[in-house]
Formats: sequence, structure tokens, C-alpha cells
Amino acid sequence: MTPNLPPVTITGIGSVSPYGALAGLIPQCALEPTSITAWTTAGLRRAFLVQPFRPAGVVPGLKTRRLDRLSAWALVASSLAFKDAGIDLCQMDRSRVAVVFATAFGCVDLTEAFYLSAAAHGWSGTDPSTFPETLPSAPASHVSMFHGLRGPNVTVSNKYFAGEIALIQAASLLRHGQADLAIVLAGDALARTLYSWYEVAGLLSPACYNSDLLSEAGGFIPSEGIAALVMESAKHEDSRSNAHTYGRIHSGRWTAGGQPVEVMRQMLGDFVPILTVCSGNGAPCATSPTSALAREICGDRTVIILPQPVALGLAGTGALFHLILALSTRPTNGQALFLATAANSGFAALLLELL
Amino acid sequence: MTDIHKTIVVTGVGIASPYGIGLNCLQAGMLSGKSCLARTKDLYPGFEGTTAQIHELAPLPKTFSSRYSRTDQLAVVAVADAIANSGCDRAIFRESGVVMANTVGGLTEIDTGLAEGPSEWYRRPGGLLRGTSYPFAHVADAVGAHFGIRGPSCAISVACASGAIAIALAADMLLDGAAPMILAGGSDPLCPFTLSGFNSLRALDPNPCSPFDQNRKGLNLGEGSAVLILETLAAATARDANILAVLRGWAMNNDAFHSTAPQTQGSGLADCIRLSMEMAEISSDEIGYVNAHGTGTPLNDIAEANAYETAFRGRNSPIPVSSTKSYFGHCLGAAGALEAAVTIMAVCSGALLPTLRLTDPIESPSVDWLRGKVRRQPLPLAMSVSSGFGGSNTALIFASGRS
Repeated sequence: MTPNLPPVTITGIGSVSPYGALAGLIPQCALEPTSITAWTTAGLRRAFLVQPFRPAGVVPGLKTRRLDRLSAWALVASSLAFKDAGIDLCQMDRSRVAVVFATAFGCVDLTEAFYLSAAAHGWSGTDPSTFPETLPSAPASHVSMFHGLRGPNVTVSNKYFAGEIALIQAASLLRHGQADLAIVLAGDALARTLYSWYEVAGLLSPACYNSDLLSEAGGFIPSEGIAALVMESAKHEDSRSNAHTYGRIHSGRWTAGGQPVEVMRQMLGDFVPILTVCSGNGAPCATSPTSALAREICGDRTVIILPQPVALGLAGTGALFHLILALSTRPTNGQALFLATAANSGFAALLLELL
Repeated sequence: MTDIHKTIVVTGVGIASPYGIGLNCLQAGMLSGKSCLARTKDLYPGFEGTTAQIHELAPLPKTFSSRYSRTDQLAVVAVADAIANSGCDRAIFRESGVVMANTVGGLTEIDTGLAEGPSEWYRRPGGLLRGTSYPFAHVADAVGAHFGIRGPSCAISVACASGAIAIALAADMLLDGAAPMILAGGSDPLCPFTLSGFNSLRALDPNPCSPFDQNRKGLNLGEGSAVLILETLAAATARDANILAVLRGWAMNNDAFHSTAPQTQGSGLADCIRLSMEMAEISSDEIGYVNAHGTGTPLNDIAEANAYETAFRGRNSPIPVSSTKSYFGHCLGAAGALEAAVTIMAVCSGALLPTLRLTDPIESPSVDWLRGKVRRQPLPLAMSVSSGFGGSNTALIFASGRS
């Protein structure tokens, strides 16, 4: 995405997260990890978890019984984002609405279930209804089916910047006229196999094992959830009298290497961001270098909003939560740089105008 | 007049297929009429069916701190071949982008023991590294790390349309100026998880498949990888690159219909084909050949035939169509990229490959089902069509580089 192209706007927000299922911004409140009960653990294990809820209680008529939790959350979060945007999809040309979804691990609950059914019944006896729901793209497909969205449907991933890439790719589709509106989703569910990997790899925070420790104790606390943003081309937004704009995305870049300072200064052009929202890759050691990099690019007077642990726990798909939580702090209007870096694996950056 | 900054060209193609490594190998094998589909046993205990396997894949040197899954390995082999095919030094790709599609990721490295006892499984020798290769993004990371590529990198997973969507998104990224060149394609291996899944859905033909035949019984899975080197015409001409093909148009959409079945009338796919022709600013008469998705399943092939009826009705002559999955099976996330490569082969050589084992085609007046011998004719423009579970469709239009 080059800086000179027309901006695209963010007009709706929805999320399913440890904060609950919400339309719009997330109320400011401190959140502590909760005990894992979905599987048997050897002693206390904590994480930032989405509390079980009935999707049809949030979105009437929603049927999610055979779906992975991630697919169910995608349906709820997308519905809440469209509601927040004031969009009546029945009044829209839905062949012009794109779905862009970012996930690192896909539908891990049902992938585990499929393996367990193979263990129990052999590979010849697996469940046909489960297999299609294990695909990483299943949540995006369900969003298209439920809302009748017939535009491009893409599922993307990257170890560190999947959420940022989803935003950049959605903006690209809008700018190239391949859609007028996009629903962008990013998130992951926390399954036993994933938590165990973090644990055996020695990445977990002491707060995962001790309820007396606060989430600020340091280390990585896994998280789960999905966030959704409605993005519109400026032309489409202008045609809606009831559009509420959270922000405009002017440009975005990501790379797997190179010199972030040089590339970002080139990307910023004449813009001087007054606010920097720092993301991270889930590793605590990543946040501090990201802030330092932001300071180097934007100068000492720049206000920096640091990431919150719930979003950090989502690792590569936390970008949308980082952004929503930052917007929820009611920052000053103006230009903002949304920046994520991973020590040896490059960086992602988006230039936004907050409204 | 051509805008050289907005024209996307293909300057290299890399292939790892059951025919061997390289486009020449694929072309020679397919032109000879050889099918790679063969009886296969014991890909998991009790499995017996027909697949297209790559039997010899040289192990990769250890230059990546993580473990290479078979998906990664296939991708790396195809990228190495694409770079060799382009005739360029590796160093030129340092700032390139990587967009790699797959559906299997590191599932080849995992067994049922992981789900039964993950902590114990990870503590086994190599367990953590095996787990590291699970995410489908790992393939793009492996390619980037192996070749020292540091431009924008991401993975795509959109079921069986993945490989074609990777190419379409890479083209968008080039128009955005995201990178000077992009290596885009797909990679997927055979593995018990997907074989079992398709078997459970009763989608597999136990014998070699017969796409578009009235008596078709299902698909055969294959494995492979294909990678295109994409760049703008401006960049390619500036470095005097050999231009194999021009990507004239591309489109993506979704049926919004069903998790596994295509929309019966193929209306979503027909719309997608129309959108790609609009982008290319051509009429349906100008397309000389369609490389179809053509899986051989009853539902896909009739929906696809219906889509061609809608999209190509009113042409001066029926549209020539074939499915090359009858040669090397359905390679899932790699299928769209492999078939894009076959389509490029067609526009470069003017050789239109027939569908193998097509004896009693679906009745479709607007379609000229290619069967029997290879047809040779001038081919200015050809289209590659892909669809997938969840309703995604993609159409890519290629012209010969000579144009």
C-alpha cells in the first residue's frame, strides 16, 4: 500500500474476547487471567479466556452447534461490527463486500477433535462433518455464508503480523475496486495443544500458575478471541449518511526484514504522527524495542500507547485488539502510527488518522 | 495503451510435481499423455486408493532454525526451481515478497498422539520443533528464511482456491508497490489428515478420476508445489527479464452458499469469470482455453459446467475446457498455482491438453470439452479457474509473454 492512495475508513467494531461479546469500543477495565477448565490441567493454569456464551443470545437465529469456537466467534464479532457500523446488509450489493480473516492456528479445537476421532476409530473412521470445519478458512467462509457476502474471501497468516496484514490486504482490495466494503477479522482460540506448546517451550508467565500474581508479573499469558472491523472505501462511506468513522488508514507496510526506520520514514512522508500505538508479538521482550523504535521514528513528544496483555496474548493475530483497545483509551484525534515489530523477523506499520 | 507499471508479468515458474522438478518435466510428462495417478496403499493404516505422489524429494540442507514440514520442503524446492527458471541470481530476490498458499501446513509432522497427550508429545525428541511447523504461515517463513528473502511475507489458506488466490493477492501487492517482485504460489503434500477427511466425505474416486464425465465418481488427491515470479512489466523490462506470460486479469469472489458444496448453478463462479474478463478488458470470445478446477466430484463438475454455460454463452464458438487434475490429481492448496503454471504452458506453446479418461462428457452446449489428442492452436489468452470449500472462486487470465 503506498501513502498516496485514497484512505479507507474504519466504521464498525465488534469483538468476542475475555471482555465479552461487544459492539464498538471496549470499556476500560483491568482484566486478570482466569483458570482453565476446558481440559484437565496438572494444577492451576490460567489464561485470558473467552467465557462460554450462547451465540444465538447475541445474534438471534445464529446456529453454531457443529462449528469450531473460532467460527462461532467470527460470526458473532462480524455481526456486532456490522451493527456498530449501522450497516443493513440487506440494502447493500453483497457481491461488493469482502471478508479478510487472519489466524495463526485456525480451528484448533476441531483439529484436535479430528485427531482424537482418528485415535479412537482409526483414520478410516473419522467424522465427515468435522473435517471441513478444521480448515483455517472455515471461519471466513461461515461469515460469507451467514451474511451472504459474495465478494473476495481471504484467510491470511503470518507468524507475527497476521492482523496487520489482514488490514493492509483489505485496504488494498478496497482501493483496487475489488470491493466497496470489507469485514476484517483476526483472532485465535486457545486449545490444549497450543497452551501445552507454550508451556513446554517455557514461554508462560508465572501469572499463569499463581492466582496471587497479577498479569503485570511479566511473561506471556496466552489469550483468545476474535476482533472485527468494518472497513469502507471513502467513496462508499460518503454515500452513507449514518456512517461513524473511527479512523482512516492512509498506508501500511510490512516486511520480513530490512531497516524499519528507513522504510517507515519513507512511508510516513510528510506525516508526523502525534500518537504511536505499539503492538508486539506476544513475547514481552518485543514491546520495549517496539516502543524505542517508535520513539526513534516519531520523536520524544509523541504519545505512545503501550499494548495491553490481553491483546499481547494473541501473538500474531492481536493487531485488531491492539487497535480497538488503543481507540478505547479515547486518544486525541490526529495522526497515529500503529507499529509492531518482531526482533529478527521484520515489522508491520499502519498510518492512521484518528477521528 | 499498456501501463507498464500496472501490467503484471510472470518471469519465472517453479514446479515440484509428481512428474518431477521443473516446468519442462511437467510439460513433457503431460504432453506425452502420462497420468501420475496410481494405486496407493497404506498412506494411513487401511487406506487403499488412487493418488499422485512425489516419490523422490531430496532432503534440504539445514539452514532454517525450525523443522521443515513436507509442505515447506515442496515449497522450497519449487521456489528454487522458479529462481533457476528465471535465470537470475538469488540475491536479486532479497527484497522480494513471498505469498505462499497451503491448506495442510505442518499436519504432516503431527500424529494422533499430540491430541491425546500434548505435553508428553512435545517433550519427545523433536516434539517442540514439529509443533512449530504446524501453523500454515510456516511455509512462507521457511521460504523466506531459506532464500534470505526479507520483503513482505504471508501465507494464504482458502481451501482448494488457495494457490490461485495467492497469485491474485500478490498481483494486488505489486500494484500497491509493496515489493519489487513477489514469489507467489502454493504447496501441499499428501497426508493422513486430509486423505481421511476427503475419504470420510466420500469424495474420493478409488480409481483414476474422470473430471466432467457423466460417470465421474470423485477426486484423487495429489501433492506438489508451484511458484510464479511476478513483477510489473516496468520492473521486468528494466532488468531485461525473460517474460514468460502476462497476468491480464484476476478476480476472486465467494458463493456464500455452503461449507463444502458449490452453488448448484455455478453463478458465483460465472460472476468471478466475468469479473476477471472485465479487469482484462476483453470479451469472452478472446479466451481460447480454460484450465478448469474440474475435480471429478459430481457436485463440483456440474456446477462448473453450469458456470461456463453462463459465462461463455453467446460466444462465436464453444469454449475449450479441460481439467488437468486428471493427470496429477487434486493438489489442494497447490492446485490453483500448478494449474496457473499449466495455463502459462498452454499460452506459451499453443498446446491445449485434453482431460484424460473423459469419454461421456456432461452436456454443455457452450463448452468444447477437450479430450483425446492434444490440440495445437494459437492461444493469445487462456484462463485458469479455481474453487474451494467454503465457496471461494478465483479466475486468472494469462497471455503469452510474446504478446
